[in-house]
Order: sequence, then C-alpha cells, then structure tokens
Amino acid sequence: MTDNDTHDRVETDGGTASPAQAHQQTDYLNEEVNLLKPSTAFMRDHLRVVWTSFVIWALIVFGPVTLTAVAPGPMTQTMPLLGFPLHYFLVAFGAPTGALILAAVYARKRDALDEKYGIDHTTPEAGGDAGGDAGDATATDGGVEQ
Amino acid sequence: MMASFLVIGYVFKVADTEGMWVAGRGIGNIENGMAIGANWMSAASYLGLAGLVALSGFYGLAFIVGWTTGYFVLLIFLAAQMRRFGKYTAPDFVADRFNSPMARALAAFTTLLIAYVYSVGQARGMGLVGQYVFGLDIIPMIVVMMTITVGYLALSGMLGATKNMAVQYVILIVAFLAGVYAVGFSQGYSTILPQIEYGALFSELSRQFSEPFQASSYYLWVATAFSLIFGTCGLPHVLVRFYTVQNERTARWSTVSGLFFIMLLYWAAPAMAAFGVDLFAVVNNISPDAVYNGEQAMSGAEGDVIVVLAAQFANLPTWFVGLVAAGGMAAAIATTAGLFITASSAVAHDIYSELINPDATQRQQVLIGRATIVVVGALVTVTAFNPPALIGELVAYAFSLAGTVLFPMFFLGLWWENTNRQGALAGMTTGLLLWIGSVVNSVLPAYVGFLADIAGGPGQAIVPIYAQYVPPIGAALVGTPLVFLVTIAVSLVTPEPPLETKKMVRQCHSPEPMGQQQTAEEIVSNSGGETPADD
Repeated sequence: MTDNDTHDRVETDGGTASPAQAHQQTDYLNEEVNLLKPSTAFMRDHLRVVWTSFVIWALIVFGPVTLTAVAPGPMTQTMPLLGFPLHYFLVAFGAPTGALILAAVYARKRDALDEKYGIDHTTPEAGGDAGGDAGDATATDGGVEQ
Repeated sequence: MMASFLVIGYVFKVADTEGMWVAGRGIGNIENGMAIGANWMSAASYLGLAGLVALSGFYGLAFIVGWTTGYFVLLIFLAAQMRRFGKYTAPDFVADRFNSPMARALAAFTTLLIAYVYSVGQARGMGLVGQYVFGLDIIPMIVVMMTITVGYLALSGMLGATKNMAVQYVILIVAFLAGVYAVGFSQGYSTILPQIEYGALFSELSRQFSEPFQASSYYLWVATAFSLIFGTCGLPHVLVRFYTVQNERTARWSTVSGLFFIMLLYWAAPAMAAFGVDLFAVVNNISPDAVYNGEQAMSGAEGDVIVVLAAQFANLPTWFVGLVAAGGMAAAIATTAGLFITASSAVAHDIYSELINPDATQRQQVLIGRATIVVVGALVTVTAFNPPALIGELVAYAFSLAGTVLFPMFFLGLWWENTNRQGALAGMTTGLLLWIGSVVNSVLPAYVGFLADIAGGPGQAIVPIYAQYVPPIGAALVGTPLVFLVTIAVSLVTPEPPLETKKMVRQCHSPEPMGQQQTAEEIVSNSGGETPADD
C-alpha cells in the first residue's frame, strides 16, 4: 500500500507543498484509479478512511452473529435492565445503529478531507452554469501551467 | 376501516398535486433522505419484516441487518461516484461504462427479473391486507388490487406513485409508528421507547423467538444478510435518488439521513413483532410455545400481516387498525407502480429500441411499454396466489439477484478502470445463470411437475448441495465473489478499455466539484484534446 514508485510525481509534490497545492497540481483525469494502489494524495487519504470504516463495519455487522455461533452460551445471556438476550440486542439494535453512526462519521471525515484539500462544494452551481468550467480547470491544471 | 382507507388515498392524492415541493431545483439532504426512505418502504419493510421476525425469530434479524447496514457500503463506495458518473439506471450505467448494447440488454433483463420477483411480494402484501380489511378471499383480492394498479399505470403511462416522496415517507412512518406506540402503550408493554422496551417481554415469549439458529443455520443467516447488503448497493431505485441532489456532498449526506429515516421503521419492527407474538398467544388463549408449534400455530399469512393483526388484537378502534393497514397497502402499491415503470422502460427502451428495432417510433415504444406492464402484471398476480415464501423472503430473492449481477458491475465499473466490456458480459452472464439456476433448483420443483419428479418430491431441491450453499435467498454470498473473479479474469486476458472510458472512471473519483447537470462523460469529452495519453 505504501510503495508508490510508479507515481512518485505526486508524492514528491505532496512532500513539499500543502495538500491544497498538491491538489491544484494534480490532473485527476490522468491518474489511474486503483483501489489497492491509490495514485493521488487525495485518493490515498480517502481510501484510508474508506477501508478503516469498512473493517469496523464488517466487525459490527458480522461479529455478533459469528460470536453467537462460536460461543452460544455467553452470547445468549440476558442483559441486565433491558431484558434482551445479548446476541439479539447486538444484532437487532447494535448492528443497524452502528452502521448509521459509521455512516455519519464517514461523511464528516470526507468533508474534513475536502477542507484539507481546499475543495469547496458550494460553488459548483456557478460552475454548472458555465458548463465546461470544471472540466477546463482539471485539464489545464496538469498540462499547460507546468 | 374502509373510510380510513379512503382518507389515506385522498391525502396521497393531495400530496401528489402539491406543486411547492417540485424536484429538480436541488433538493436538500433531509428531504432527499426522506425520499430514499419512501422508495425503500415497500410491503417487505412495512409488513414483511415484522412477519419474518415474528415467525423466524433470530433469522428474521438477518433481514433487519441486511436492509439497513448495506447503506453504509453504498455510501463509502458508490453514492458520490454514481452521482458524478451521471447515469442512474442499471442499463444506462452499464451501457455507457462498458460501451456495449449487449451489456445494456443483460442489465435490462436483470432489472426486469428484479421488478417481477420484487412485485410478487408486494402483490402478496396487497392481497393479505385487502383480504383482512375487505373480507374477500385472497385470490380475488390480489386480482382486484393488481388490476387497479396495472390498469391505472397502463392507461395513464405516468408514474402512479406520488411525485412527492417526502410526504409519502411521512405518512407511512407515522402510520407504522402510531401502530407500534398505540399497541405498546395500550397493552402496557412500553411507554416512550418501545424500540428498547420490548426487551422486557423476552422472558414471556417462547424461546423460539430469540434462540439463535433455530429457523436457519449460521451459513444461511450470513448468506441472507450478505445478499441483502450487496443487493441494496445494486438496486437502481436507490441510486436514482442521487439524481436530484445539488452535489456529491449532498448525495453523501442524503444517504446518511436516508439510512436514519429507514431505521425509524427498522428499530420499531421487531418490537411490533414481539407485541404481536405475545398478543397472538393471549388472544387465542394458547401457551407462548404453541404460537410456533401445534394446531393453533401462527400461519405464514398471519405472520405477514402481524403488524395489522397486533393492532387489532390490542382492541384499538377500527379506524385506527384501518390506518395501519392502509399504510401497508400504500407502501405496496407505490412500490409496485415504481417497479412496473422500471420494467416497462427496461423492455421498451433498453431492449426493444436499442436491440430489436433501432428505428422504433415513440408510439411503438409506448405500446411496448404498456404491453410489458400488462404482461408482467398478469404474471405477478398469478405467482402471488401461491408464493413460495413469505413477503420479506420473496423480496429478498430480488436482492440476491441485484447483489450477484448488478453490484459487481457498479463496483468494478467505478473502482477498477480496466474492467472492460468482455469482462462485464462474462460476469453478468455468470451471475444470471447462477441465480436462475438456484431458483430452478430450489423453488420451481414446488410448482413444475416434471422438476418435482426429478427432485424426488415437490418440496425437494434437484441438487441438494447446490440448494444448501446457493439458496435463492442467499445466492450472493457465493455469487458476488464469483462474478467479481470472472469479470476480473476476463478483463485481464482481453484488451483494456479505451482511454476515454478510463478517464470517465477517473472523473468519478476526482475531488474536483462538478455542476449539477454534468456527467463524467461530458467532462471527459470536453477535456479530451489537451491531456497527453500516458497509458
């Protein structure tokens, strides 16, 4: 995951400049999309969030039921106060609620990433009016100015 | 009870014509989240879920987990990317991403199958509720309700469901939660939080309600949850909701709020099931265990309307029971209407005018579309007379198909730029064959004489080991990884897709904001000339 030898251009940029500058200098249309070997600084940061939360999600969703299959005794004990058998509560309430919290956390983290890279989502309405604005920006950033 | 039905119908009608909510000028994430919730709430959520939890106990929870937690996977891998790609039906996405009319046809055929199987569950729900409210037999009831739905759609050709999904959501969730709170409160089960308070009831219920792996093995539990999770990500009617939002940030947050609005129902459904099971024993004067065994045990049909039955057992006023029933009926009709529109566009647009008759006129397409609605409607009606499973399980068959065939196309299409046409065609064919094989193997012997002869009995599967590991309801646990492997392998040994296509995929992941009406394709073709081809 850490060796980016084929795409070190962006890597060295990211070392000296701020993330926002690295973002300015990246031509996203010419960087490969690779789930296992992200090629841009933004994608690397994004995928770190994606994979971390995905692993937690998998544990929340399939963990309790697997534990119940492995150790039915301790898992089916009645919970104090609530009265649920533990496995029932973890699955019926825990898993969906956990997924909801994770979803909100992910959306927040992704907003934080946007901020780190200086991306503003409030303007695209204006960009949309002019049609090709966003497209031109991505295209010229990488090629012409350098 | 009839009167409350009419009132609900009238409220829907009013909500429908209200012009102030018009979509298209950028809906916010809360309203869009409600729309996602309304799209999601079919008879399977409203009626089937509580039915499954009541009848199948712990296994029923696989449906709760599957139909909620899948949204998280959708959010982190697909929501914003799909919004950027700019195509929202499975056939459109597949055709544009893989440059292939054949892939479009396969996706359209899959969509048609999904609509058919999904609708059977809805028709069953309409029939059961209608039977309950109007006192007709189930078969005439299904025929009447389906005729009304199909007739309306085929004649008007317009979306029969309300355009205002947010209002529809509010009506449905209020009807459902009112039922849960009223039953819980009037019977002394709960006060302000029935979603948690039903825990106290477990000591009085039969052990079968909570005992793990009674109605299913661990494998079937996981296979079912897996299929529903990835089916959620492959079902186009969720993705369509990203079309109306301002930008991808709103797409992300509306997935989050959509999940919250869905969970308002999913938190409460098991509570309603627990109340219903307990009341069933009290009203029929039987022991808790006799709910599951013996002559007075709860039938599948009773389980499927447990939401309505519980309200009645609790001696709530008739109009109130009617309100709860009307919610279930409304959910079923709206979903059926939406599915039939999808099916008719898949056949008329994606199969007929793209493949069979490229010169088709508008008129011919409309005719074919209406014919599709009538034919699928008739098929659904007949199948619903004697369905192979409970409402929730029927709908789950459609999810396992979506998870097997469509999810890998969306995921690989958006996350691996080298996925090509050959890979997609091979993958989709594999997935379709695997799922159809599973249905023929496990479900059809109960209906088709000569298959039953081969299987050695109507209740038997033709190949038991295949039925055990690839059950129709959990086919995606084996199917999805298999389709991934086939698609990747075939893509690797055949030529890479054109650079234009790869750039489209890259555009979907670029953090650069896009305008609301833009698609990845437009941006790529605008910038095409200036960028050096370094691949």
